[in-house]
Amino acid sequence: MENSIRQEQIESFGRLMAGFSHDMKNHLGIIRESNGLMGDIIEMNVLGGNETTIDRLKKAIASIESRVCITAIMLQHLSGLAHRSDTPCSSFPVNDLLTEECTFLERFARLKQVKQVLEPGEDIPSVYNDPSLLQHIIYRAYLLCLEQLDPNQSLVIITGRNGKNATITFRLNGISQGSLEKVSFNNLLPAIEKLEGTLKKGGENHNDITLTIPSLSVTEK
Amino acid sequence: MTKIKLLIVDDEIEFASTLAERMELRGIETQIANNGQEALEKVYFSPPDLVILDLKMPDMDGLEVLQGIKALHPSIEVIMLTGHGSTASGIEGMEKGAFDYLMKPVDLNDLLEKLKLAYEKHSKA
Repeated sequence: MENSIRQEQIESFGRLMAGFSHDMKNHLGIIRESNGLMGDIIEMNVLGGNETTIDRLKKAIASIESRVCITAIMLQHLSGLAHRSDTPCSSFPVNDLLTEECTFLERFARLKQVKQVLEPGEDIPSVYNDPSLLQHIIYRAYLLCLEQLDPNQSLVIITGRNGKNATITFRLNGISQGSLEKVSFNNLLPAIEKLEGTLKKGGENHNDITLTIPSLSVTEK
Repeated sequence: MTKIKLLIVDDEIEFASTLAERMELRGIETQIANNGQEALEKVYFSPPDLVILDLKMPDMDGLEVLQGIKALHPSIEVIMLTGHGSTASGIEGMEKGAFDYLMKPVDLNDLLEKLKLAYEKHSKA
């Protein structure tokens, strides 16, 4: 019972976020067109004015356009992120889900002056599993990884495949060897078990944490 | 040279009217409709060559409007605008006869390029 209420909460939250991003795109559309119209008017030299003023206006218009584009991409990812919770289980491309989430996780890295590098692998299989639970695990794992990193180090996130399973590796570049051994990911294990996935530490430099996400058969969930 | 006749259908009045103004500045004869019913009336009484159609509107779904337009004038080419996170809704529109789709907020140059291609197709019909 509690689980189903929780699931409904996640779905509701996802739908609210998706609706929000849709509305924001409409606002952005109006800002973009109004800004574009100002640009058109300036290009046509209807206003007159000296060159310095025109240049300043053009710069301001270009800046608005650039920020609109960045925000539009973020909203695109927010919408994707939100729609993942539409159903408890679905088939989804891991690279897409990760790209959406990393758009928002990058801020945490930036605040800590850690560089986030996303390296999506090729031919990564789509998996049938619980996408919003995976989003939650990625979020928690990402923050735990960040805690281990110092400014000017980097967190590289790599996707790969292991048979029919997809893998996500968090590579903590710059940490001292052996320091990852002391880190506990136990809090994440119940959620990973629910995905029927695994989490392993390893890698050439002992600085990798790899999450394996299986594709469940439809009857399993 | 014949002027392209364009209809912009979007419930966001400010968006539709600003985009229309930009189209007019480029020599495209543009009218606007702020809901599906109004769009179909304009298509019936004063058929445009091309339509820019928002997918999500309160009264009629964009896909319904698309089908209505195609039933009235199959040669009118429709470009759908979608604010949805995925491309699925745009692809569904193309399966139902739309010429193409664009994600909101649109890049004007992309839109003009698609309008040009759509008009070429319309002219051959």
